[in-house]
Amino acid sequence: MNLLDSLKAILTIAYKEFVHVWRDRRVLLLILVLPPCFTLLFGHAFEGSAVRDVATMFMDADHTGESQRFADFLHGKNVLDALVEGSDNPDKVRKDIDDLLQNLKDTFTWRKWVGSPKGPIELIQNGVDAAIVIPEGWGQSLQNGKPIAMRAVLDGSDTNTAPAVQALLQQALGIFQLNERYELIKNLPEAVVDLGEQLAPEIQHEFSSSLTPWEFNTDMLYNPKLLFVDYVVPGMVGLILQLVTVTLIASTITREREVGTLSQLLVTPLRQSEIVVGKVLPYLFISMFLIAGTIAIGHLHFGIKIHEPFLLSLVCFLFLLCSLGLGVLISAFSKTQTQAIQFSVFLLLPIILLSGAFAPLSQLPGSIRIFSELFPLTHFCRAFRSVNMYRADFGFIAADLIALAAGAVITCIGAAYLLRTVDD
Amino acid sequence: MPKPLIVLADLVKKFGHAAAVDKVSMSIGQGEVFGFLGANGAGKTTTIRMLCGLTKPSGGSATIDGLDVWRDRFRIRSKFGYVSQKFSLYSDLTVRENLRFFAGAYRQVHINDKVERMVKEMDLEPYRDSRAGKLSGGYRQLLSMACALIHEPALLFLDEPTAGLDPVHRQQIWDFLYQVTQSGTTIFVTTHYMDEAERCTDVGFVQRGRLVAKGSPRQLKQGLGGDLLEVHVEPAMPAVLELRKFPGINAVDLRSGRLRIHAADPQALVDQWQQYWPFPGLKFLGYSWVEPDMEDVFNAYAQGRHSQNQVQAALK
Repeated sequence: MNLLDSLKAILTIAYKEFVHVWRDRRVLLLILVLPPCFTLLFGHAFEGSAVRDVATMFMDADHTGESQRFADFLHGKNVLDALVEGSDNPDKVRKDIDDLLQNLKDTFTWRKWVGSPKGPIELIQNGVDAAIVIPEGWGQSLQNGKPIAMRAVLDGSDTNTAPAVQALLQQALGIFQLNERYELIKNLPEAVVDLGEQLAPEIQHEFSSSLTPWEFNTDMLYNPKLLFVDYVVPGMVGLILQLVTVTLIASTITREREVGTLSQLLVTPLRQSEIVVGKVLPYLFISMFLIAGTIAIGHLHFGIKIHEPFLLSLVCFLFLLCSLGLGVLISAFSKTQTQAIQFSVFLLLPIILLSGAFAPLSQLPGSIRIFSELFPLTHFCRAFRSVNMYRADFGFIAADLIALAAGAVITCIGAAYLLRTVDD
Repeated sequence: MPKPLIVLADLVKKFGHAAAVDKVSMSIGQGEVFGFLGANGAGKTTTIRMLCGLTKPSGGSATIDGLDVWRDRFRIRSKFGYVSQKFSLYSDLTVRENLRFFAGAYRQVHINDKVERMVKEMDLEPYRDSRAGKLSGGYRQLLSMACALIHEPALLFLDEPTAGLDPVHRQQIWDFLYQVTQSGTTIFVTTHYMDEAERCTDVGFVQRGRLVAKGSPRQLKQGLGGDLLEVHVEPAMPAVLELRKFPGINAVDLRSGRLRIHAADPQALVDQWQQYWPFPGLKFLGYSWVEPDMEDVFNAYAQGRHSQNQVQAALK
């Protein structure tokens, strides 16, 4: 059997398979409409990662001038004049404060206080996600030199929101305290200032350093604007394609088995490997178009920049090949189409959750991460992001590419082997 | 006997502990039309699937043209065509597309010419561009056969090709089969229809996986041991039930208003009845002797009244 004959046989099957898809208008509609729709839907759903609109009830139980000022600040009013005036770089400080105020406004949606500010405070029952209390005697405690703590009640079941809100409140209180310090220094009596000037200049400088907040100057690499959409689009595209490829192809062999045409195929001189390759080919062709389409939407609609298109195409190609191999394996393994779909769903569930499509793999424990390496989507997401966000070269993602290629070969061989054995 | 093309030797197929095919041995000559008969579940389809290399024999062996059906299955595939029990073509492909696909699958050259010729031979011209799923049962079957014959094989397996078809289409399919045999093609066909068994040159009966009889229709009929007694009794329906209970009678069939009696010694029955008719509610109007047909043969074997040994004994 020479190679040309084999190629002809493969094309014969591929053409037939393509006609099946082409004539099945419902499936055609499904694969042409759903991926772009899902891309738009998921893309907008996960566009930003910032915490927004946290329903929060607020109570000022203190009723002092101090507490009122902090309350105003939390509600988005700039009360930090001393900080701006006292700074060496007032423009930068003013901008930082404005950013913080904007963040406060975006984060909190203020609700009316319900219930008592003392004792246990309920959130869910009162229809809110957070509660903030300035306790009675707070203003007084500041003057006594023994400041008491503010009170915040957060919903810890939302592991994303609670820490973000906690950090924001701490930041707001910190900058408020700094402002009060500047206010205090500004209003020091002349005598103290004179006294201070008698200190050695080094000590004076150390003193003023200790009063200035020390800070990190952070460079955000790869995704400077911290846009979650840049991170999530590859995962999304991969997930959609994973879903489409596996479910589409999983029913092809089982359908032939159910209808009886598989027996008819197996009595022809077609080899099992030719049948498998012939079946994968048209779906590979179709899904390459789909992945290009969904990435194009990511680029045009969500502004995702595409780097190294050639290397990314290779990543996509191997990923699709491996996914189709997985689908074909399921298909050859199942006796009926119903079984094939059931297997696909049960397989896709861990793939969705453990492949790092939506959350970084580093959040998973090491033992689970080993498991993740079995999924083509894991390798796709990592390789795609490495190239597109980190500008990685071929060598950097070679391991993922090899894993995908090996997966494709192993699944296809397995499928070819299983093609006839299921019968008995 | 012509040169044997298919040889089965103690062929066995087990599913779990149950043997679907149980030590079947026979040979089928080149150019024959071999009819494989048996009740549903008797093992006909399993035998065909083993011969086609679709399922692995559990024991024994079978060869086609000297090649083992399992070990050499890749080599013998191009030598035969197979039409399976259910309609197994691609419904969403047209008649010509199906033919083209199978021509390609069998690695044929000049595919277009072959397809066009087959469309003409099969009277499928008016449906050449219709989807296979839209064809009527008879044309579907013709198309299935056309697809199985596109590579001009020397052997054709047909698993109940006429099941569920009307008499006109059955006739059409048999006419076509005769046409195929003209070129020396051997045919292995399973069927439920006894009139079709009559058309075969050679017939095998399989029962619960075992081959219980094999021979030409003439041989098998002779094996029943002469003509059958047919009595004319009225009213016929109650008579069937009454006579079945009569000692010495194995079976009674109603045929064209007459009662066909299967008995070990029918002559004795006639003698007895001419002296004394033991059924007061029934009228005995006469009797005759008829040549047994394949249905009689089939019933005899199906009910276990005959065995191959008896047939062979009778033939001697």
